[in-house]
Amino acid sequence: MQIIESFNPLKDEMIKVLNEHGEIVRPELVPNWDDKKLREIYELMIFIQTFDKKLISLQRQGRCGTYVSVEGQEACQIGSTTVLEKTDLLFPSFRESGVAYVHGVPLEKICLYWMGNEWGSNFEANVAPVSIPVGSQAIHAVGYAWANKLQKKSAITVSYFGDGGTSTGDFYEAMNFAGVFKVPTILFCQNNQWAISTPRSKQSATKTLAQKAIAAGIPGIQVDGNDIFAVAAVMAEAADRARKGLGATFIEAVTYRLANHTTSDDSTKYRDPKEVEKMRPFNPVLRYKLFLQKKKLWTEDFEKELTEKAEAAVKIAVEKAEKTPPPEPNEMFDYVFEKPTQTLEDEKQSLLNFLKNS
Amino acid sequence: MAFEFKFPDVGEGIHEGEIVHWRVKVGDTVKEDQPLVEVETAKAIVELPSPKAGTVLAIFGKEGDNIKVGVTLVLIGEKGEKATLTSQLVENQKGPEQASPGVIGRIPTEEKGVVLPSRKPETSAAKAASAPVLPATRKLAADLKVDLTKISGTGAGGQITEEDVRKNSNQFHFEKYGTVENLPLHGVRKAIAEHMVKSKSEIPHVTHMDELDASALVKLRESKKAEAAKKGIKLTYLPFIIKAAIESLKKHPGLNAFFDGAGNQIVYKKYYNIAIAVDTPEGLMLPVIKDADKKDIFEIAKEIVDLAAKCRDRKIDLKDLQGGSFSITNIGSVGGIMATPIISYGQTANLGLYRIKEKPIAIDGKVEIRPILSLTITYDHRVVDGAEGARFMNDLMAELLK
Amino acid sequence: MALITIAEALNLALRQEMEHDSRVMILGEDVGVDGGVFRITDGLIKKFGENRVVDTPLAEAGIVGSAVGLAMAGMRPIAEIQFDGFVYPAFDQLINHAARMRTRSRGKFTCPIVVRFPYSGGVRALEHHSESMEALYIHTPGLKVVCPSTPYDAKGLMISAIRDPDPVIFMEPKRLYRSLKEDVPEEEYLIPLGKARVMIEGSDVTVIGWGSMVPVMLKAQSALAQENISLEVIDLRTLSPLDTETILASVQKTGRAVIVQEAPQTCGLASEISMIIMEHALFNLKAPVVRVSGFDVIPPLLKTEDFNIPNEKRLIAGIRKTLIS
Repeated sequence: MQIIESFNPLKDEMIKVLNEHGEIVRPELVPNWDDKKLREIYELMIFIQTFDKKLISLQRQGRCGTYVSVEGQEACQIGSTTVLEKTDLLFPSFRESGVAYVHGVPLEKICLYWMGNEWGSNFEANVAPVSIPVGSQAIHAVGYAWANKLQKKSAITVSYFGDGGTSTGDFYEAMNFAGVFKVPTILFCQNNQWAISTPRSKQSATKTLAQKAIAAGIPGIQVDGNDIFAVAAVMAEAADRARKGLGATFIEAVTYRLANHTTSDDSTKYRDPKEVEKMRPFNPVLRYKLFLQKKKLWTEDFEKELTEKAEAAVKIAVEKAEKTPPPEPNEMFDYVFEKPTQTLEDEKQSLLNFLKNS
Repeated sequence: MAFEFKFPDVGEGIHEGEIVHWRVKVGDTVKEDQPLVEVETAKAIVELPSPKAGTVLAIFGKEGDNIKVGVTLVLIGEKGEKATLTSQLVENQKGPEQASPGVIGRIPTEEKGVVLPSRKPETSAAKAASAPVLPATRKLAADLKVDLTKISGTGAGGQITEEDVRKNSNQFHFEKYGTVENLPLHGVRKAIAEHMVKSKSEIPHVTHMDELDASALVKLRESKKAEAAKKGIKLTYLPFIIKAAIESLKKHPGLNAFFDGAGNQIVYKKYYNIAIAVDTPEGLMLPVIKDADKKDIFEIAKEIVDLAAKCRDRKIDLKDLQGGSFSITNIGSVGGIMATPIISYGQTANLGLYRIKEKPIAIDGKVEIRPILSLTITYDHRVVDGAEGARFMNDLMAELLK
Repeated sequence: MALITIAEALNLALRQEMEHDSRVMILGEDVGVDGGVFRITDGLIKKFGENRVVDTPLAEAGIVGSAVGLAMAGMRPIAEIQFDGFVYPAFDQLINHAARMRTRSRGKFTCPIVVRFPYSGGVRALEHHSESMEALYIHTPGLKVVCPSTPYDAKGLMISAIRDPDPVIFMEPKRLYRSLKEDVPEEEYLIPLGKARVMIEGSDVTVIGWGSMVPVMLKAQSALAQENISLEVIDLRTLSPLDTETILASVQKTGRAVIVQEAPQTCGLASEISMIIMEHALFNLKAPVVRVSGFDVIPPLLKTEDFNIPNEKRLIAGIRKTLIS
């Protein structure tokens, strides 16, 4: 079912398929997933929740650096990624650990990244390194897609950012280029309502973020980000359009940031905890569980089994990451250029000599 | 070994907190990530999860206690293990590691080992600059072991010059004994000094001395005088001696050579460029008569006069001072019976000429007054042995007797 | 007088200056309700309202650019950029406009803005949160660059920066925000821009640094004092314009200079200072000037960042080089 072309971000309601009670409200948009796949989706949700909690705990124990939680955004993370080809290249910002995992990045690598080891960004899966300056990497996704188009490759690209990211000039330039050059990319915005302490209302005077796409001449569509079916459906169509040469799509997935901005943030300073509690019933994992229950695909044992499996796997990944020795001091010199300059060689030597003698 | 769980950096600008509620007690079994205690910080109540599974051996602090980040809160170990309070544990209660707010990382709340100096009123105090010294001069001072702080500079702005350093490097302080006058070294004098030291220290000098009945030479010169005058040339004995010397050099090439230690060879020169010592107000100069073997007496005589004049007038060309293969020092024009001249570096011999004096000598058993010419030949004993040197002199004198 | 941190001193300076001058306003991400991610602007929105302490959308170019416009119209904006690594999108506004407005219009329009941000590393942070690129700002004609290292200096310099008629880049060493305490007067005082501070007088070696490197210098000073090596420690405080008089007077006295910076070595401020010393104090030098610097590398992530940032051991090694006569 094609809905992107006809969606009017200035008028239409966001796309909803699965509501917060676990009920299907638009059956025609439900992805064609069998029971096995439906269970796998839930398994992914549990897994992401498990490692998300673990990384927060590790930070609290001083075993890793600042961590950025994806709590509340599991449907966005899984729904946007599971419908893609493994050859599609993703350009994440800092709140996409779930996206990375679903697209094939080993959890051990994800842990290495948050532990401050550059090797955490070096792996086979088609995910570009985390871009901390949010929204600045959307244009990379555009450029890469442009190359794919020139080289007649069928792979597409996706850039990820939040509501805050859409205020940057970089974001508009990315969309504009995407429109002008009609590249096979998707700009995926997880509007989780908060950019650290800046609420969505202060981020832009627009009613939706999706309508910003109008200024770039590409389709903009708003979707319920807590609804995995809606996310998957819209994402699948956008990917299909891109592969067919119909160009880029901007997707605004409306969700909610249940966690603090990062492990160093205390959101009670600027956000009423009552608001968070009000939003919790809308979270994606709950409604999906309710859906599975209705379909008789969920049992207590199933939940227990997934939880135990997840905890075991997370434990192994964390162990592996913690056993990984930190990079050698010479590495910071060796990866600046393809071949270090004389200055870098001299500096490397002086540091190594200093370390040897001290 | 029991595991110590310390109040960690929770990354929210926290460096201390208050224990609100213990979620475990001693003896409890805990799982990894299970909440151990609730701590209230300035911001919120934080649940602290356990990094390890095990049995709670000991807990530190009561509800309501104020604790600092880094203090040990719980000891987790094996069931039945003793909870030994090590001194390390007690030390840790001081809680050094602290945290600070921020969206990132760990902002320390203590800069260990740093004491900010107290503030003095900010004035632009005039500082005592040290005397300026050129880096090269500084090195010279170091080499000569001169303390720059103890000498005053005579250069612009009090700059300590090279001269200042050298002056102060002298072990002797002659002024102690009386008045002295210092002449700075430069130019010819400086060059001569350096040349002499090099020659004398490297070349083993031997001087062979002899006397000649110069009657024949005197007659020869007399006979050529008129002809020379016609050519406008002043004729001395020197041109004759040069000619005679060349004849002897042909037989004894070692005195027209150079000992090349670096090249491990002796260089025999096949040309005869005779350097003659000229005394000038600035000092000794050695202009060279090139290819003297190819010139006649008169040419040589003229060249001698010309070169000497150029030297005295400081108009001599550098090329006229170079290329000598043999030197003649005519000190006789000034005085003395004999001396031991120094070989010019680059050569192997130096012929000394002295004043022809009327002296009584024995001829056929009778005493007769004859003009006696003293000669010395100083040679490089690495190239010329004693006998050879003597033979050169013999052959030279034989020439002069003709 | 109160014993406070740099963070508190800055907060105090901002509060007092906003009381003193109604044109002064603060804008940036999370500066209002959240009080800034380092709490530097904590409590200010409550006191001065959301028209003077403004939470902006996420857009650095927008923040600095609108500050330029606000300043041109007579306001005195203090733009906060959340982290050093996020200033770059605002470079167009800083270099092409803020720095040039006065020249371009021959004084008809001026740009009295302060752009302040936490800089430097050693805090185990994510990428782009540990930059020391002061050289880029110093090298830009039309910008002044200030970098306090102590609470007392932070307050005095902030007020001077706000009152300065030209754009001032105010770099705050984030590692030191809360780790040093000093007596800071409640009443107003100014520290003029362009004046370095001789923190400790000494006779053997002049050690020059700023910001995050000041505690490193102080640690080296006390360690070497045990060996009877007397260091003269200079905190630059203002990076541009440079207090060459203080630097040269000191080097002419001691004859030895070591400059320590967290920034990458090539074309860092240490190089400029070395040249100034060479030009005006060569004949007083007993040894070549030594730079102890970060390397010409991308700041490593937390696992290896300590190898790049100069510590007192590296500084002491550099100082010893000048003492080999």
